[in-house]
Amino acid sequence: MSDHKAPLWWTLYAGAVIVWAVFPLLWMLSLSFKDPLTFRDGTPAFLPEHFSWASYESVFADALFTSALLNSFAVASIATVLSVVVAMFAAYAIARLQFPGRTLLLSTALAIAMFPQAALVGPLFDMWRGLGIYDSWLGLVIPYLAFALPLSIWTLSAFFRQIPWEMEQAAQVDGATPWQAFRKVIVPLAAPGVFTTAILTFLFCWNEFLLAASLTSTDRARTVPAALSFFTGRSQYQSPVTAIMAASVVVTIPVVVIVLLFQRRIVAGLTAGAVKG
Amino acid sequence: MAEISLRNVVKRYADGFAAVNDVSLDIADGELMILVGPSGCGKSTLLRMIVGLEDITSGDLLIAGRRVNGTAPRERNLAMVFQSYALYPHLTVFENIAFPLRLRGELAAPELERKVRAVAETLQLTEHLQRKPANLSGGQRQRVAMGRAIVRDASAFLFDEPLSNLDAKLRGQMRTEILRLQRRLHMTTVYVTHDQTEAMTLGDRIALLRRGELQQVGTPRELYARPRNLFVAGFIGSPPMNFVPAAVSDGRLVLPFVTVELPAQLRAAVGARRHVTVGMRPESFEDARTRDPGAALAGQGVTFTARVDVVEWLGNEVYAYVPLEALQPDLEARLVQLERELDSDRMRNQLVIALDPKSGIRGGEAAEIWLDTSRLHVFDSESGERLQ
Repeated sequence: MSDHKAPLWWTLYAGAVIVWAVFPLLWMLSLSFKDPLTFRDGTPAFLPEHFSWASYESVFADALFTSALLNSFAVASIATVLSVVVAMFAAYAIARLQFPGRTLLLSTALAIAMFPQAALVGPLFDMWRGLGIYDSWLGLVIPYLAFALPLSIWTLSAFFRQIPWEMEQAAQVDGATPWQAFRKVIVPLAAPGVFTTAILTFLFCWNEFLLAASLTSTDRARTVPAALSFFTGRSQYQSPVTAIMAASVVVTIPVVVIVLLFQRRIVAGLTAGAVKG
Repeated sequence: MAEISLRNVVKRYADGFAAVNDVSLDIADGELMILVGPSGCGKSTLLRMIVGLEDITSGDLLIAGRRVNGTAPRERNLAMVFQSYALYPHLTVFENIAFPLRLRGELAAPELERKVRAVAETLQLTEHLQRKPANLSGGQRQRVAMGRAIVRDASAFLFDEPLSNLDAKLRGQMRTEILRLQRRLHMTTVYVTHDQTEAMTLGDRIALLRRGELQQVGTPRELYARPRNLFVAGFIGSPPMNFVPAAVSDGRLVLPFVTVELPAQLRAAVGARRHVTVGMRPESFEDARTRDPGAALAGQGVTFTARVDVVEWLGNEVYAYVPLEALQPDLEARLVQLERELDSDRMRNQLVIALDPKSGIRGGEAAEIWLDTSRLHVFDSESGERLQ
């Protein structure tokens, strides 16, 4: 910790960035509390004139939204867990083992990440209908996994490479099998990387819209981003804006909670003190 | 505890480079063997082959009489202290030391706790048991690494330059501690270092390596008094041995600054050679004026006059430097090569002379120097082998 004071302009700059980033969120929050019938009337104001929970009530009364929440949670969690587990082993192999096709694997992973998703929507739609997994959790988890894995593998293999190889050798000399060395030494040390990867993957799956909108048709599997686009007001003649805002606030909360939760595990510099210093 | 035997051990990499070449070495039960040599000589590779982190290309490695070439590190029951310590940063000091015991899972909790505490007590780590390695000083980390090694009943202990990350003062202190521990536990130990002082002070025996080949194995005293070749002679001793060319004629050695009788015991070994390389330790010289006259009887010697250009006063000793004329090109080239291998720069074109601090010799003056001719080392100029 350094004690010297930051100059004033630095504070002003940070303040400007915060306002710029947070304003849309506050606007969303404010809109979600405005009265859905009258929010367009009169002069536009930042704060709601009549504070109202009506939008939230309508959102939770809507079966489409509650099931979408459940779908989002399930799909994102399953994809995240699978992706992290698979990526962990793949990244470990890439970082530590010399095997033929190692660079090919890495570059293929990168190529997949660069592939435009939109190009896949059509083929996937046809294939999934043929396979009978259209409009199902599985139908979303599979493509999410494919798109999340490259990033996860790259992030994790960078983390594994940072861990001194001597840690593992020390464990083996101490009497560990390769699996024990991996589980008791490498995994705990790579934990910050694992959690970082998990957060990134979860956010990707949670926010993904294109595939979610194209590969689902009912509330069996439709996730929140897709469901939001099908929102209506309480009646056809009512604007859905406040309801959409309320739903957006609701889906933002779990993301914030998860990030805060995992962030405590992302302790930078965990390997400090392992080796000389 | 167990003995370790290496039989014609070779480590050859895929590109054909032999990091360790045909090394045979027996390390007795309870012995402290030092592997020493300049960087890149293969000493660490050899150690890692013993512990099982490097494959052995050919040859046999026996621990307690059992051939272990292909076995995994955990089955060799050896303990190792890494140069970087390799502590587990996510575990406390207690858990770091307990790690090998937990892996075996044979001990009940109270017994494990007792063992770890006993080790911590020995290494003065008791008050740090609940701390993480990141919060320890270099010396404390070093001790944790040692604790992790001695907590289990390993067949032997391997140290890979364990003191190289410590500052000079702490290094001396830890050196004594390691020696004390080794003597007390009577543990078979292989200790790798590049520091000849560490090698001389610690080892029961020293194995000196150069480019993957064993040069000489023996007690520190043997290596010091009877180095087998120029390399060993130049590596052991600080300041290093002085090398000068000498012509042989009529049973006399003509050195650049003095001519001496060829000692009787060397005559046969020198044989018909016309040129040899002579090595003289700095402490084979003395100031002719302050020398104890009684000591003259102990050995034969000659007195000569030399111009001393620089004098370094160290308190307990004085180093005087005597410039020499340029050597013949072939010896010069050989010494340049040797210097490069030894990371030293003091071997050419000057004599380093260690004098008693009572000596009044000052820089820039001519001085009367006495040379103990019974302590000359004579080497073949071509092969660099010792003649005796």
